[in-house]
Amino acid sequence: MASHATTEQSLAPGEIPKPNTAWIWRVFGILVGITAVEFVFVFLMHPGTMRNSIFIILTIFKAFFIVGEFMHLKHETKGLIWTILVPISLLVWLLVALVTEGSFMGEVLENMFK
Amino acid sequence: MAQPTTLQPPAAPATQDAPRTGNWDGGNEPFKASYGKLMMWFFLLSDAFTFAAFLTTYGMIRHKHEVFTGEAKDFVFSSRWWPIPDHVFNAFPGMGEANVPLGFVALMTMILILSSVTMVLAVEAGHRMDKADVQKWLLWTILFGTTFLGSQAWEWTHFIHGHTEGTVMADGTVFHGANLAMNQYGPVLFADLFFFITGFHGTHVFSGVCLLIWCFIATTNGTFEKRGHYEMIEKIGLYWHFVDLVWVFVFTFFYLV
Repeated sequence: MASHATTEQSLAPGEIPKPNTAWIWRVFGILVGITAVEFVFVFLMHPGTMRNSIFIILTIFKAFFIVGEFMHLKHETKGLIWTILVPISLLVWLLVALVTEGSFMGEVLENMFK
Repeated sequence: MAQPTTLQPPAAPATQDAPRTGNWDGGNEPFKASYGKLMMWFFLLSDAFTFAAFLTTYGMIRHKHEVFTGEAKDFVFSSRWWPIPDHVFNAFPGMGEANVPLGFVALMTMILILSSVTMVLAVEAGHRMDKADVQKWLLWTILFGTTFLGSQAWEWTHFIHGHTEGTVMADGTVFHGANLAMNQYGPVLFADLFFFITGFHGTHVFSGVCLLIWCFIATTNGTFEKRGHYEMIEKIGLYWHFVDLVWVFVFTFFYLV
């Protein structure tokens, strides 16, 4: 029927649908924004644990958007999400453990001959 | 009742069984992801282990070294303490000795994030089976990828040749730049870690660019169109985003912190 053809937005064979890219540019905006904020902190704040924590938190935010949206992990099944996240969180544990170990080693080496 | 002496095949059922669709009956996609994409995820996970090993080593070695405690403006390069990154990475191409702390690395970060965006755009175009758009966005991604590699080559060259003033070493000579055995910026391991971490990342970008060029050729030849889907672009895209992700971490831990 004629009315049917106008209400249904079906595509003719070989026709290419319109791009849907607004979300991509939104995520890009967020990533650029976070990086810009990091730069502001580099020059406005004195180096220290507080500044480093801010950088690490902002980096994790960026990682969330890249992995979740660009790599589409947010929209995968729960099983896949956990398969990726659990080993990574164990690695973060390793990182924290060895950074602590490094500080201890530095202290020991410094005081060795005192 | 007498048992048969040999094993008899079971009597054939009168009707064919309905197809079995249980978890372990085969024909399923675990995690509802295709084989190729799932394997790419697992490869990326293993690659994340390698990069995490690098960054963990960096964290441990850095914390083992002394921290410069004075004012940032009084900072001088010394093998006693770990250098402050914005004093090391402060040059910009074509600006000579001008002090542009982290300016060039900021530009490199932007280029790589932008290349990630054009990669998603290529994947999105692939979903729509839009060959011309896939080609366009792949070319942009290749362009940004090679620009990043070129920038890194410049960054390395500058790091190796060093700042004009150099640093007076223990034996009284002035040393400029860096190699694996000595450098003007700080402890020996600082330059070693710079070469290994950014070098390993750069190698990944290089492999990514090669894969993208191959993808572009295959798209142009209509390989994916004939196949009926552009999943290969998605898989290479996962790899490319991972490389961008690693840079986000290298940027934070090597340049910012």
